[in-house]
Amino acid sequence: MRDITENQDYPGYLLKCNEKLHLDSGKSLSNFQIAYQTYGKLNVEKTNAILICHALTGDQFPAEKSPITKKNGWWDLMVGPGKPIDTDKYFVICSNVLGGCVGTTGPNDINPENSKIYGLDFPTITIRDMVKVQKILIDALKIQKLLSVIGGSMGAMQVLQWAATYPESVKSIISIAGSLKHSAQNIAFDEAGRQSIMLDPKWHNGRFLEKNDKPENGLSVARMIAHITYLSEKAFQNKFGRNLQEKKDLSFGFDIDFQVESYLRYQGRSFVDRFDANSYLYMTRAMDYFDVSEEIQQNQDKIIRNEIRFLVLSFTSDWLFPTKESKEIVSLLNSIGSNVSFAEVVSDKGHDSFLLDEPQFFRVAEGFLKGIK
Amino acid sequence: MRSDYQIILDLIPQNSKVLDIGCSDGELISLLANKNVSAQGVELNQEKVISCLGKGLDVIHGDINLMVEDFPYNQFDYCILTQTIQAVQKPDILLNTLKKIGKNIIVSFNNSARLSKVTKFLLSGSFDSLLKKTDSDQWYNTDYIHPCSIKDFKKLTTDLDLRIISTFDVINKKKFTNGKIPSNLFCKEVLFHLTNV
Repeated sequence: MRDITENQDYPGYLLKCNEKLHLDSGKSLSNFQIAYQTYGKLNVEKTNAILICHALTGDQFPAEKSPITKKNGWWDLMVGPGKPIDTDKYFVICSNVLGGCVGTTGPNDINPENSKIYGLDFPTITIRDMVKVQKILIDALKIQKLLSVIGGSMGAMQVLQWAATYPESVKSIISIAGSLKHSAQNIAFDEAGRQSIMLDPKWHNGRFLEKNDKPENGLSVARMIAHITYLSEKAFQNKFGRNLQEKKDLSFGFDIDFQVESYLRYQGRSFVDRFDANSYLYMTRAMDYFDVSEEIQQNQDKIIRNEIRFLVLSFTSDWLFPTKESKEIVSLLNSIGSNVSFAEVVSDKGHDSFLLDEPQFFRVAEGFLKGIK
Repeated sequence: MRSDYQIILDLIPQNSKVLDIGCSDGELISLLANKNVSAQGVELNQEKVISCLGKGLDVIHGDINLMVEDFPYNQFDYCILTQTIQAVQKPDILLNTLKKIGKNIIVSFNNSARLSKVTKFLLSGSFDSLLKKTDSDQWYNTDYIHPCSIKDFKKLTTDLDLRIISTFDVINKKKFTNGKIPSNLFCKEVLFHLTNV
């Protein structure tokens, strides 16, 4: 049984599914729910729906004010009335991913089998599992074909997975700063982040909620490591240089001397307030396991028959998901003979460019959407 | 419509797969798409890329000198290079790659050895006189780095083992077959239809 209700905890809605969800790991969830938000209006023909897939630490609130951070939504520059993804024109759907911590079923929910918090009993999930749940949502909304599925970073992985698994349900795809598979270097960064969390004694083998505790240090260091990979050498240099933090002289100790240290610590600390350590483990694992190349090849006939149009975007200074990896997506899509476009946007802001004010990037995405008929 | 575009439209059969290298704002691929040809472009200029996307055309943003290697082999029925080859850094290497990714190659360019040009060059004594009137380019900063004649290009096709199916005097819309080519002295713009088999 599937049932849509208002979300009591956050703005938006909940799709509660009282049914088994079979996962790639071979395990299953006996029931689950999807938290989502929508913007704009679905037209009568249901042909103007766009699904936005969020990145690792995103949520279902890309536009307007975020109820989580109380600041503008994470993609407020991209999504809204008159913006590139124009909510006056399109019906925008965004859901919290499976394994997330903003309302969709994840490791901090109660396991109905034993009425305890899942913790590490939560099954390992994949990007395909996340997309499977999104498809259930789209079906519940009775939308047959999405006009576009759009996402950056981990969102780009979901986007490509949509094309590979449900090619008959998408008209177009925008993959931003993504890749066909997680690189060894990216798995390495994820592992450093996870170890940082798991080596924090306050993680309590994933049972920290029951102990009324939180692996704040571990999660905060994980975020600091990750945050470095989201920027670029030049972005750090331009923003901070070697400037000192509210002091004239070096301390000759290990307190904060440099502005960049203060910034990173702040990023780590503020992340702890809004994100769950176990979700972080599960989601980075899902990214590590991601490799969609084979499934795209297996389903190439369907991709071609449905005439899916792909736009692949990358940023010059992104070293986490470099242009080379976006070009591999383009090469694969070309080799199966699909309709693919590619653009590389000049930006010195690194991987995070897709969340920042990059007018060229917006114009490319807007132009592409305009061309989808 | 540009005369070389008309020839290309007549040349390419329906349902072919085409790659237009240096597609600019997509005029040719859009004409081809209307004819039920599946066409993709490659373009360096981002504004032109955006303009192509807005028209619903498939376009790859990038430098043709570096980019073409990313295309899988035997993917296209036709690779098109109109008024571009003289701006390519290594035309021989590019053509060799195109030979692998497409069955047919169509190349159009202005013949640098035609009498009027040569005379102009001789009388002015300056390479600048060979550049387009509209061009603010000078000999040292122009993209037009590989001027070539019909004879030069024909020799390159032989060296690269490309077979000439036909050639055209673009301005006079005259077709040449059986190894004949337009006059190296008088033809202003030439189009070569080549194949890798």
